[in-house]
Amino acid sequence: MKNKLYAVGNAHLDPIWLWRWQEGCGEVLQTFRSAVDRIKEYKGFVFTCSSASYYKWVEEIDPALFEEIRKLVKKGKWVPVNGWWVQPDCNMPDAESFARQALYSQLYYYEKFGKICKTGYNVDSFGHSAMLPQLLNKGGMKCYVMMRPGNHENSDMPENLFWWDSADGSRVLTYRIPEAYGASGKKDIDRQLSIAGERAEKSGHGMMFFFGVGNHGGGPTKGDIEYLNELMDDGYEELEFSSPDEYFEEVCAGQLDIPSWNNELQHHASGCYSATSMVKQLNRKAENWLASAEKWNSVAAKISDLPAATKAFGDAWKEVCFNQFHDILCGCSIMEAYDDVRDSMGYAMSIAAKEENKALLKIAGFVDTWLDGVSDSVSCNERHHCRNLNFPRPIIVYNPLSFEVEQAVRTYHPSARVTDCDGNDVLFQNVRSSRSNDSHLDTEFIAKVPAFGYATFWLWHADAPVEKFEKPATSLRCDGLTVENKFIKVTFNEKTGGISSLVNKEDGKEYLGSESCVPVVIDNSEPDTWAHNIFKFDKTLGEMKLDSIEVVENGDARIVVRTKHVYNGSYLKQDFILAESAKILRVKCKALWQEPLTILKMPVTVSGSNPVSAYEIPAGIIRRKCVGEEDPALTWGDVSADGKGVSVISDSKYSYDCNGNTLRLTLIRNCIFADHYSDRPAADFNYTDEGMNRFEYALYPHSGEAENSVIQHQAAMFNNRLVAIPVGYHKGTMPKKQSFISIDKPNVSMMSFKFCEDGSGDAVIRLREMYGKPVKTAVVCDILEAGFYADFNPFEIKTFRIDKEGYVRETNFLEGIPE
Amino acid sequence: MLKPYKLKDHICRFCKLFSLDDPAVPKALFEAEAIKPDLTGFPYPLPSKKGDYTCSAKTGEVLWFGASNGLTRYDEREERYEDKIMYFSADRDLPDNNVRALLPDGENLWVLTEKGATYIEMRLVSAEEKADILRAESEKYVDRRGMKTQKYLTEGRNLDSILPYGHSDNDGCFTATYAMGEIYRYAVYKREKGPDHPDTVTARKYATRAAEATLLLMHISGRGDGFVARTYLCPDEPVPDDGIFFRKQGDTAVCLETTNSKEWDVVGAECFCGAEMPERLTKLYTDLGYSHDGIVYKADTSSDEISTHFVFFKVCHDLLGCDDPELDEILVSTCKRLMNHIIDNGYILRDFTGRATSWAKWNEEYFNTDFGYVDACLNASQVLMYHLVTMDITGEEGKWRESYDYLVNEKGYADYGRKHFDRLFQASISGEFDYPEDIMYGDHMLATCTFFGLCTLEKNEELLAKYREGYKSWRSSIAREHNPGYDIPYMVACPDNDVDIEALATWLYRTNASRLAAGVSLIGRHDIPVKKLQAGTDEISVLLPPDERFISKYDRNPFDYKNEDSGGIMCVESAYVYGFAYWMGRYYGFFE
Repeated sequence: MKNKLYAVGNAHLDPIWLWRWQEGCGEVLQTFRSAVDRIKEYKGFVFTCSSASYYKWVEEIDPALFEEIRKLVKKGKWVPVNGWWVQPDCNMPDAESFARQALYSQLYYYEKFGKICKTGYNVDSFGHSAMLPQLLNKGGMKCYVMMRPGNHENSDMPENLFWWDSADGSRVLTYRIPEAYGASGKKDIDRQLSIAGERAEKSGHGMMFFFGVGNHGGGPTKGDIEYLNELMDDGYEELEFSSPDEYFEEVCAGQLDIPSWNNELQHHASGCYSATSMVKQLNRKAENWLASAEKWNSVAAKISDLPAATKAFGDAWKEVCFNQFHDILCGCSIMEAYDDVRDSMGYAMSIAAKEENKALLKIAGFVDTWLDGVSDSVSCNERHHCRNLNFPRPIIVYNPLSFEVEQAVRTYHPSARVTDCDGNDVLFQNVRSSRSNDSHLDTEFIAKVPAFGYATFWLWHADAPVEKFEKPATSLRCDGLTVENKFIKVTFNEKTGGISSLVNKEDGKEYLGSESCVPVVIDNSEPDTWAHNIFKFDKTLGEMKLDSIEVVENGDARIVVRTKHVYNGSYLKQDFILAESAKILRVKCKALWQEPLTILKMPVTVSGSNPVSAYEIPAGIIRRKCVGEEDPALTWGDVSADGKGVSVISDSKYSYDCNGNTLRLTLIRNCIFADHYSDRPAADFNYTDEGMNRFEYALYPHSGEAENSVIQHQAAMFNNRLVAIPVGYHKGTMPKKQSFISIDKPNVSMMSFKFCEDGSGDAVIRLREMYGKPVKTAVVCDILEAGFYADFNPFEIKTFRIDKEGYVRETNFLEGIPE
Repeated sequence: MLKPYKLKDHICRFCKLFSLDDPAVPKALFEAEAIKPDLTGFPYPLPSKKGDYTCSAKTGEVLWFGASNGLTRYDEREERYEDKIMYFSADRDLPDNNVRALLPDGENLWVLTEKGATYIEMRLVSAEEKADILRAESEKYVDRRGMKTQKYLTEGRNLDSILPYGHSDNDGCFTATYAMGEIYRYAVYKREKGPDHPDTVTARKYATRAAEATLLLMHISGRGDGFVARTYLCPDEPVPDDGIFFRKQGDTAVCLETTNSKEWDVVGAECFCGAEMPERLTKLYTDLGYSHDGIVYKADTSSDEISTHFVFFKVCHDLLGCDDPELDEILVSTCKRLMNHIIDNGYILRDFTGRATSWAKWNEEYFNTDFGYVDACLNASQVLMYHLVTMDITGEEGKWRESYDYLVNEKGYADYGRKHFDRLFQASISGEFDYPEDIMYGDHMLATCTFFGLCTLEKNEELLAKYREGYKSWRSSIAREHNPGYDIPYMVACPDNDVDIEALATWLYRTNASRLAAGVSLIGRHDIPVKKLQAGTDEISVLLPPDERFISKYDRNPFDYKNEDSGGIMCVESAYVYGFAYWMGRYYGFFE
């Protein structure tokens, strides 16, 4: 029947939004109970529900109810959909997060119900990034249900049913809900049925119609089901209780030609990518830390008796996945909810911190750091440490990234000399520490560390009797407010504190079209927290005024220019840090923000004509028109013109706009918590970014457009710094410098290195292509006794499962377990 | 147009196998010390597990590592991965995979395995020399009255044990492709060396024979209505039980008893076979002493045959027919008769039963069935291509134009092609298989012929754009094969699109200099990931060079993990796969 209407009974459950998670948990239990009862009461009724985390709550709290659900799933009366932990925001989690959303959820479904979800289902998420088809496919899903943006927000994309393609070659059959995911009550049901019926008639294929009380759960009421039964009894032949799985199966078995779409699905809520900076910062930090920590744990477990912490990482990732729920990560829940989020993310990161520390020290224990004579008797007068100053102390620096990194790294204590493990002197600088006792100084040195490996460095204490040595040459120069290294030259305006010139020394050209990095304050009084129906933040209130500018450090390893800008009672302090060997200008920020209903943006203007803007998105790069709309991105945004580009990298922000040649990173968005189309009755409001904000961003000038630069590498380095671990002197079986993996193509990087969830001891390596260029690469990992080749489509992610003999299987995010 | 890619001479493996007691095997090989190589920190993935390597040797700058599951060659000077590390395995390269000792012999290598020995020569061979070697092999061992498909052996790897008979379901398709390769060769030589050069004369001889064999299949049924046979057998050849066969006697052909004919309930059915056949074609068997009586032909012909035949018509007419008016006349009349058959029968190939053959259906009725719904995208395009070829080589429009315009304007056939990817993908969801992995690989050649013909013949820009879109909708599955036999026609048809020409060069460089299907080892390779497909089969996730995988025609998934040679290991395959790709590339100036 071509105009069949599939009535999908469901309950949209927000575990956190205008309430805290405890309320959400209760709502899930009540809704699931109700749904089970309705299924038993009404023949033919089928219930659809997403989010593995909800099922887990029910399993833990009400196992009897869970058992009933298991039986109903087996009978096809209850249909789990969306093989993800929650219905996350679909723009801000990184690709590894989406992999984990699928991994933990689909394996949970597989364990409990004997099957995985075939249909992705994010009916309320506010936008959908362009590589989502791949992220769904590789999590075992070929079909997708979404609703936002609505036709009034994006009329270019197809209505109803369409093929959605991503650049790697993946595609999902996507159903766009016409208007509402939860009709309830006769009037509402009539309206939604009417819309679905009209569309079925027009499109020539069946349509789904979603009913059931939602948001705070509830699901289909007796009244709803009885009314639909009445309609069916009265001859509404096209109508039938069903599920998305059944819908897609039947539609695909038919003969229809449907349109395709190969772009992102935006915009619904442009403000969600900047609201509540805290949760975004926690998300970025947790994602990176967990990924790194698990990599190191896997290495340590492979080479030593340290156990694999797969379960602990799973527990941690589940917290992160939960907090990626769209109303949480989008910053539009109530303020109190974020106390819970902070605790939850703290729990996750605490696991990362502990496991990483254990692993790094365990690995370090195998490195030969012994120096003859170092154990001779010494007399030590220092308060905080005991050492023989005649010997340098070993510092092992770890690089979690799968390419070689040269970066400044900081350690406790000032130094007189630093060498690498081959005896070569290394550039260093004693810099002011954050403490205000002891020596007041730390050492910052330029470390070069092999891909996913470590290198040992030797630091002579500042008080040590150091023989005369030749310091390596530095390219750093400071002339007034102009600073430069071998890659870039930056000039600051002493009156505005902005950057008046940025020269890429590779081609000697000026990259700025006008003065940049003078913070701009925008009026945000009109938009609600989501910024519904507002797509540009362009009501400028003014620029922040320069209060001070000075060069606070000028050494061999780095130069620091500090500015302070003020606006009313708020200030922004920025340390512009140019390090030797760095292709970026790093900016460390501290903002005390007290301006209600404002936005703070950092503009950068590239010189040239015909600008193009590009952004990192989960598992890819996207280009967008330079029309000033606020858009989501992951770690960087970029504007290029006439072969010159400037990227703005951030450690915690997700929102940019680009109008013409000017790209602006949104640093702060200070709106009222959970302000939903509100008329704002008077109250002592709390604001999302009120108070002290600490974050970093960086400028990266490059020739050519973003895809032809090394922006993905720079952003990865910026977000995943080298880790310096002080170690003792000991004999060891491992060399002083080592790489644990070799990937011989620069556009392929390692996302994850872990153990398989099935406890087999098999290792899992996940790789991705970063720049949209198809490639074949060779991967060698001796600790796994593995070496293999891999072909990648543009932006493709591949997951490899490696057994104990080093034989490799390509799987998907589910690690081959449901196979 | 891309700048021609200069193909260099490239090393090619020549392996000669010996039994352990063969006096040709040097004693020193048995006494060679097995020195376990130290592969710590080796920078590339290796086909065997590092710990499994037991012996090593050096020939010039090249290192060889022997393992319990094969032999590895390493030349760090090479640029491509495939050439840096090469893998040799049983049965094609080694008697078995358990390598015991290695003995350099200048640049060559003796290999001792558990059950025998191999002498490996790595010879520099040009792409053209390889084409010559392969053609010689096909002409000597594979040829069956001009048909070039495959022949079977009674003893593995022994070409002298070849059986004199044998057939393939798609003899017409493969022979037509072989013919096209040799016709392109002839055209290249004629252009570069002149028409009277001995190489040109030889090329013409082989091209003509294959063209005649192809054309004969379009007459052999003797039905006189344009019906095309899949293949035919002479009276002394055994009739296999894999289809519908008719034995000719006088003017009547009788359907033979086979499993299929019993299922169709047509055993003993009779049909006319007395139509006149061009003597020039029938000489292919009458010269061998056979008469028309007793000839067995195979019916239920598929669109694979028909589509390759039409592209063959075009290529043969343009490049060979111009120098052979008699052949051209036969070709043109054959084409017209076939086209008439298709149009007059409502766009089907009508078999003796009066109904359509299983797969040669281009009518709307078929397109509206569940199966035909997916097939429609290719089949509609095929029949349009047939019309364009017919108009082109006959120089006539009339009926052909009328029919073409009807299909395009009234039936929307030109719009089907671009829906291929969507419809197949849709089928993969309801059918629960993976796209593009779990598909019918034979369709790739069918699509190549179809869209190559359409895109090179259609002059209307609007229709051309649609056909190019149709061609592109196949690329998601075709492109991953990096087969120049597919990619060269695509570059000709859609010149604005990127093709990895280096990968095509690798394919040519690394195709074996023999189509002897002796089998190679894949199971146990340590450097190639394997993935399980939804339909349950295993596939390797990286394309191996042709000389490290099974030998087949253009109809197999080159990623197939099972890795069995198409005809089993007791088989020698036609060289058309190489000749068609290489000579077409040369003809169109992609290679030099």
